[in-house]
Amino acid sequence: MGDVVGPDLISDLPQSIIESILVQLPIREAVRTSILSSKWRYKWASITQLEFDDKCVPFSNDREVVERSVVKFITTVLFLHQGPIHKFQITNWKLQNCPEIDQWILFLSRNNIKELVLELGEGEFFRIPSSLFNCRKLNRLELSRCELDPPHSFKGFLCLRSLNLHQVLISPDAVESLISRCPLLESLSLSYFDHLALTICAPNLKYLYLEGEFKDICLEDTPLLIEISIAMYMTDDIAEHFEQSSNCNFVKFFGGVPNLEKLVGLIYFTKYLSIGIDSVHISITYHNLETIELYQVNFEDTKEILVILHMITSSPNLKELQISGSSNIPVAVDAPDLDFWEKGCFSDSALNKLKIVKLSEMGGWRHEIEFIKYLLGRSPVLETLSIIPCVFDMENNLKMLIELVKCRRASSRAEVIFINE
Amino acid sequence: MEEVVARLNITWFIAIAPPALSFSTGLVETVLMRMLLDLSLESRAISFCEEYLKCLYLSCKPKALKNTYNLCLFSMSEVAMAVVKPEMKSYIWLQTVDGSIQQVEEEVAMFCPMICQEVLQTGMGSSKTYAISLPHRVNPAILGLILDYCRFHQVPGHSNKINEYLSVLRLKERKTFDEKFIRMDTKKLCELTSAADSLQLKPLVDLTSRALARIIEGKTPEEIRETFHLPDDLTEEEKLEPLRNITDDPRIRLLNRLYARKRKELKERKKLKDVEIEEEPKDERSLEDLLSFINGADGDMKGTRANKNKKKNRRRKDQAKDLSSKNANENNKVRLLPQHIRLGLNLLPSAFHNVNFDNSLEASASKPSRMQTFPTVNFSPKFEFIDGDVDDDLDPAMKEELDREVEDFARRLNSDWPERMQILSLSQDRRLGLLVVLRYDSGLRAKQAVMPIIERVIYGYRLLIRDSEAVADNSTSKVSGS
Repeated sequence: MGDVVGPDLISDLPQSIIESILVQLPIREAVRTSILSSKWRYKWASITQLEFDDKCVPFSNDREVVERSVVKFITTVLFLHQGPIHKFQITNWKLQNCPEIDQWILFLSRNNIKELVLELGEGEFFRIPSSLFNCRKLNRLELSRCELDPPHSFKGFLCLRSLNLHQVLISPDAVESLISRCPLLESLSLSYFDHLALTICAPNLKYLYLEGEFKDICLEDTPLLIEISIAMYMTDDIAEHFEQSSNCNFVKFFGGVPNLEKLVGLIYFTKYLSIGIDSVHISITYHNLETIELYQVNFEDTKEILVILHMITSSPNLKELQISGSSNIPVAVDAPDLDFWEKGCFSDSALNKLKIVKLSEMGGWRHEIEFIKYLLGRSPVLETLSIIPCVFDMENNLKMLIELVKCRRASSRAEVIFINE
Repeated sequence: MEEVVARLNITWFIAIAPPALSFSTGLVETVLMRMLLDLSLESRAISFCEEYLKCLYLSCKPKALKNTYNLCLFSMSEVAMAVVKPEMKSYIWLQTVDGSIQQVEEEVAMFCPMICQEVLQTGMGSSKTYAISLPHRVNPAILGLILDYCRFHQVPGHSNKINEYLSVLRLKERKTFDEKFIRMDTKKLCELTSAADSLQLKPLVDLTSRALARIIEGKTPEEIRETFHLPDDLTEEEKLEPLRNITDDPRIRLLNRLYARKRKELKERKKLKDVEIEEEPKDERSLEDLLSFINGADGDMKGTRANKNKKKNRRRKDQAKDLSSKNANENNKVRLLPQHIRLGLNLLPSAFHNVNFDNSLEASASKPSRMQTFPTVNFSPKFEFIDGDVDDDLDPAMKEELDREVEDFARRLNSDWPERMQILSLSQDRRLGLLVVLRYDSGLRAKQAVMPIIERVIYGYRLLIRDSEAVADNSTSKVSGS
């Protein structure tokens, strides 16, 4: 079988090109190229990115078998590998806590690892070995379902730019010190943390993503922050703790982020911000803030509405607003405090750049209607306002529509789209 | 007013260019932007701008001229800008490997980092006689393709809101262009990749390698070999594959190859005198064999398990501690791999490659094969074995023999010079001496560390040749392979 039609096209390309080709193949296919010809025997062994996902071994219904074959495969690949490894990623759900992972991390720490992603399966949390903390060149770290315990002598990852911890067991002090000891940190993502009172000091931080039951969040030193996304779950005891505190969370949170461009707040975030808001005068302006998305806003609570109004009026360049209500329909007899809207501290400001507004889960609350009136009356360049009611109750929606039609509009081009399907 | 004009037919507006002087610069900007956004009109936008500037120049309105010129500078692509100064449009001359010279617009050519560097550093390319000669991997047809790519992908270097908007539109266009661009046969694609790499045009290299990866993905090895005309020179291992391939695991395939090689190696050792010339690739294979041979000489019957390998390695290490008389420096640890060996061997005189040293040189001729000793090189105390794979189904006799060989190796290393100088082995086994196993750290350092060792090996070999020639009068030095 030695018939060759024409010269070899590809084996003599420089190694950098071969590597960029092999890196774009799934790891199994890349290793299989070793049997193509004698020149291809070891071309795969020096690629710098190793990614092992669910497809890297043949499928089998028996989880044990799959796990063992994954372990063997990864171990052999690492054994036969030559050269530095810049990216190592395991996103395999069948793989759980097993002792070989310690050895792999040790091996990687000696091979200039720059990006490490470990997403193991459900089961006992894997305890990260201390050799991880010797990875000096680590640029990006993403861990899922692990236990992390930095040693006392740990000075931080000096090159780390992106940190993503998901369901990681780590003590609050360790998290804070880890964040503050990574001077180049630009992107931080923490999810599924319980009862965490977090103070973030990260002078280069640009992207912040938090999700979990946070007791308190304080952005102490984050002047470069561009994008924030927070999902705050709240249990009853945390809520109590809030009631008793006298701080203004709004100032504490937003006090030091003048460069903010996008804000996303989910679950109880607006409630968190509403604590203490009526006691303080807010004078910060966010010139770059262009997108605000707030979910699960309770329009019954005037303090939460106050939060939204403060945010909107402090952002002269706001372009897009998305608010999602709390999916409750108002009870029949309801006498809301309409003086709130008459008070006038907000009626002077105009939303000069607001173009797109999306309101969803609208239940027909009086305050919701007033809010829409407010928006329509003060946005001279508004283009679309879309409303999605939370329940398709014809009578309720009809009442809403009747009120909406009455509203004055500042923008002649505004389209009010009521989605009723 | 602006809106009114903007909604008018653009063609009409172009036709009235001279009177456009009376409109404000802001208006002109709006019009230009609309024309540019309607990308099909770009060339007309350029000619409009040209006309307008000429009129401004002729009407001696320096300030308006300057403003509009700045406008063109900032809101149009560089192609347009080049046209705006028609007398100053510049070309670059490129010469391909076959001698033909081509004239290319400056901005298009400068998109390639390599050409850009040449122009800036050496000033070449400004005329036909001083054409920039392109790397040999770029032939005229491929150059045409590359220039098409560059022409399309030029990006205006200024960042303001107009260009941001333009670039969003451009992105979509670029994607469609890219998809169509790489639809070509595999041969051309490989040539294009190679040429783009030599011109350092990274976006094109990424695009083409992605296309090549898509070609490779999902194909069987035979299909891949057919597509790329790869020689199928691993036949023997493959023949064994179907027998042993329990799963589709590439790891098992690698194992099988090593088993096969080792088996072959051991069989060949029995027939050393009849060995024919073999080519270099085969040499490499025997080397791996030796690597695993060193590893597996003492092994258990079972076990490709990692922990068992560790046990073996530990035993190996203990043995190796006896083998070496000196402790090498930790920092010199480098793992010698086939490519390094090849590197070293290439430096040896080629005749030496194939010389077979006579058994008559050795004191005791009973053993069929010996291992080469290492006159001058320091060993590290630890032999770290790379392969975890071990062939465990050697028959006991062979195992015995291997044990003896290892011990002999040990003895010889520890003995003094004269004995060491005896040439024991032939063909493959002498390469065993090159297996200075050190820890691998990084490619470059490996090479640097290996080079002095290789040099010493060469020196050693040269001494050996000299001595062997002196010693063996009636040596039957066959030209034999290894």
